[in-house]
This record gives sequence, structure tokens and C-alpha cells, in this order.
Amino acid sequence: MAIDEDPEEHEVAALGVMVPSFASLRVVEIGCGDGRLTRRFAGAAASVIAIDPDADAVAELTAELPNVDARVIGIDELVLPAASVDIVLFAWSL
Amino acid sequence: MAKPDGCVVDLHPSAAPALLEVGARTTGRVDAADAPLRHAAAGVALAAVVDEGLFAIERALNFTFYTYGDTIEELREYIVENWRNAQIDDETVDRTREALGAGLRSQGVRPRVREQVLATKLRPLARPILVNAEANGVTRALPPR
Repeated sequence: MAIDEDPEEHEVAALGVMVPSFASLRVVEIGCGDGRLTRRFAGAAASVIAIDPDADAVAELTAELPNVDARVIGIDELVLPAASVDIVLFAWSL
Repeated sequence: MAKPDGCVVDLHPSAAPALLEVGARTTGRVDAADAPLRHAAAGVALAAVVDEGLFAIERALNFTFYTYGDTIEELREYIVENWRNAQIDDETVDRTREALGAGLRSQGVRPRVREQVLATKLRPLARPILVNAEANGVTRALPPR
């Protein structure tokens, strides 16, 4: 199957406008799926916690991005210390 | 969870229906039962946190997100498997196939789904002031001055 999502990279461009640099930032991504967006900033960010209730998708993300703290949970189950992250990214998940 | 100087970035599709396209021609829409309502609700949720003085919108823009398939059948299968309660009806499939048959396929034109996506960056405001509206017993947050 050759499904091609956003080859024009409009989404990445929009994210770049919102967050010009992820360098040294601690990020939580809600609704990471298989990591389509995560892979765009994971290398630069100081740390990434990525959550999604879809276990198969998170397994794909983990295989590609082992340094990401990927969790198979929904947002209701996410517990983090107060003021512990720089960016909360809702990725098509609201 | 975000630091006071942190931010929230939200990406979500607009309430407009996702469209099937072949080149510049629209051949139909994705039938996604409750998607417009869900996506509209996301916008309402964002508006609510702004109205309540919890966050301020720092930046907002919209962009087009395309998903391509080699064939309409492939796109249809993908939508059914990966979108929530969504499908492409037979008439749209036929129209898309017909549009592709007009010599476009040989030119490398692929069927695609077009979605409008809203991107919003929000900054948390200083801790809102809670006031007790004694008249009606409702506690509400006031935005900082």
C-alpha cells in the first residue's frame, strides 16, 4: 500500500511556525499515533513523552524512535509533575 | 503540566468535510459520520479556555493536509481502517475512478483526500483569579488585567 500523507509537508511547516525550534525543550505529545509528527522534532527536543491509546501505532513509534518515552495511554491516564514540560502538543487529538 | 512560560500547540481538522480530489477536480467527500461535530467541539474547547482566561492565543493558522493513494480503492481502504467511523461511498469511488481515467493517471495524478487543519498556539496566562459570584453561587475565573 502506498499511502502518502502530507508529501507537501504543510503540517511540518505549520508546526515550524508555531515552534521554530524544539532545541532543549521538553515536549509532551498527546495523540502521537505512529509518530508522524514526533519524528520531526524528537531529535532536537531535550525529551519527548508521546502518548496514544493505539498500542500498534505506539509500537511503530518506539521501533523507530527508541529515545522517546512512548506510552500506550489516553490523556486521562497521563500523570506528570506540574510545570515539567515546555510544550504540550495535541496532535489531531482534541 | 506545562511550565508558566511554556505553551500548548493544537492541531486539529476543521469542521469542514474532507474532500476527495483528482487534480483540481472534487469528486466527493469522505463520509465521516460524527467528525464535523467532533472537530467543531475541539474548536469550542479551545475557545472556552481562552474565554475563561486560562490561555491566550499567540498564533493561529490553517493549512491543507493531503493524503494520497495510488488508487481510489487504496484510499478507501485506508480511510476505513484508519479513520474513525468513516467511509467513501460507491458513487464517489466511481466518480474518482472516472476522473482518473481521463488520461490523468498516466500523467502521475493520484487521488487524494483534502483536509483543512487548524493550528493554534496558546500561552498560559497568570493564574486566574477565582471569584465567588454570590448571586448565583457560581465560581468563575476572571482573566488577568
